[in-house]
Amino acid sequence: MLLGFTPLYAQQRPAKVRTAPKAVTATVPTDARQQAAFDATGYWVSLVTQNWRYRMVLPAHGDYAGIPINSRAEQFADAWNAASDVAAGKQCEVYGAPNLMQIPERLHIGWQDDDTLRVDTDAGMQRRLLHFGDDAAAAAPSLQGYSVAQWQLFNLANSFGAPDDPAAGPRHGSLVVTTDHLLPGLLRKNGVPYGAGTKMSEYWQLRTLDPDQWLTISTSVKDPEYLIGPYVYDSIFQREADGSQYDPSPCSLTS
Amino acid sequence: MKGQTLLLAGLLGAAGLVGTGVALAQVDLSGNWAAESMEDPVEHTDGGFPDMFAGIPLNEDGRQAGLTAPGDEAQELNRQCEPWPAHYLVVGPWGGRFAAVRDQAGHVIAWTLSSPAYDRLPMTIWMDGRAVPPPLSPHTYAGFSVGHWEGSTLVVHTSLLKDSYLLDNGVPSSNQETDTFFFTRFGDELTILLIVRDPVYLQAPLVLARTLRLVSGGAVVDDPILYCMPAETLAGFTDGHHSAIELPPQEAHQQAYLQGIYHLPLEATLGGAQTMYPQFEKKLQGRYHPPAKCTLYCGRDETLPIPNPIQTR
Repeated sequence: MLLGFTPLYAQQRPAKVRTAPKAVTATVPTDARQQAAFDATGYWVSLVTQNWRYRMVLPAHGDYAGIPINSRAEQFADAWNAASDVAAGKQCEVYGAPNLMQIPERLHIGWQDDDTLRVDTDAGMQRRLLHFGDDAAAAAPSLQGYSVAQWQLFNLANSFGAPDDPAAGPRHGSLVVTTDHLLPGLLRKNGVPYGAGTKMSEYWQLRTLDPDQWLTISTSVKDPEYLIGPYVYDSIFQREADGSQYDPSPCSLTS
Repeated sequence: MKGQTLLLAGLLGAAGLVGTGVALAQVDLSGNWAAESMEDPVEHTDGGFPDMFAGIPLNEDGRQAGLTAPGDEAQELNRQCEPWPAHYLVVGPWGGRFAAVRDQAGHVIAWTLSSPAYDRLPMTIWMDGRAVPPPLSPHTYAGFSVGHWEGSTLVVHTSLLKDSYLLDNGVPSSNQETDTFFFTRFGDELTILLIVRDPVYLQAPLVLARTLRLVSGGAVVDDPILYCMPAETLAGFTDGHHSAIELPPQEAHQQAYLQGIYHLPLEATLGGAQTMYPQFEKKLQGRYHPPAKCTLYCGRDETLPIPNPIQTR
């Protein structure tokens, strides 16, 4: 009896993902939706079990614990004033991709098309688009930036170079997302900034333990302008049966 | 090995191996892994704030046990070197070291997950399919762990734990707690999802996540507490055998500390499942006003002393 396993193509957080993973042989799946390692579509709710004081309530001015900021960021945040930014119409600056998944919120995830995963949030009413196999070169900077995604598959049925057959057995894997082309924004609702050169990478994973299901996102934010090292955090979402609690609300810097 | 993931298996032709439940294939988790993600930075390093249970799905028994936790176990000589349960891998500051345990044929029959510090005992994660001992078997701080692979993720179920604390601010954990860990390696990073279930003290699972980074050839942390150094008891405070347990109500402390420094409403700090969902944020609107300025644990240029839980009570 021979048993084998697909080589795992785990890798460091990529600067940019352009190609399909090596171990996924070019066979059956023709688009990202078919190739999906897991079904992320549906409604999800944040579980704020960590960083509660920074996420669920407004942190105090000057509270930068947990974010590896440099002195320039500290100066920026010390001088930051919420009222001024609200008056300037910048209420959504803390809802940019580098911080969006930390906001207490609900997600509605669906397929925009066969190669684009759409992630909507009720808090701040933001939309992220995760593009599979696409190139960000022509994208204009935006609050959510441009996200390139790829599935990292681990198929127990796929061994010794055999064709990757989605019908052959359980499929496991993760979603790796890299994002750049970001407009400057905030990492915390007390003025901790990130700059236009910020890049972020994420590992999205689905976890099941009956009767619950969780979506976890491990995020690494790199910003040469305001951070002295990667800002790494983990977000947890729990699956909800429907969208009855999905409650769109506008961006807010003051609550 | 840095930046690479090894696949240990590929061939397991021996039918007997399959029959005995020997782990078939796995990602190599070996090495020292240090904490990288920065959730709850103060709580992970200097310790949690007494009576701060927001975001923790405590039931009423858990809340009362937490409020009456002494916070000064170090004043009991026999408890000064008491280790933490297995969940400390995620709620503590250290990370850990994975090492494979192999049989004579070289197959991985277990993983050990040790700590650089004395305060979490090494875990043995059995991969050979053995059964979990009956509930009345001895309970330990490390517990009994069995694991299996789901794709590239190591899934570990831990039970038979001792009564202890979930967090070091008094949040209790019972000997009925079970932990499920999901470990997934991405190059030099290891993501962990921990699901804690405790029918005695929690009204819902507590779900926590963390990311570790491989420290190739080095120590998990620069200056770990390698062994327990018993602390001296405070003369006049305890006799070395008893903790200064305080009975409810504890609201005075909440007022003086959490509300005074962080302006957190009592309803939030008492915890419960409702405090971990977004709608709780809306519930606090109009009832919470942030402090004008951070005065404690502010991240950069720390100048204020670490509060002593005893003194703050």
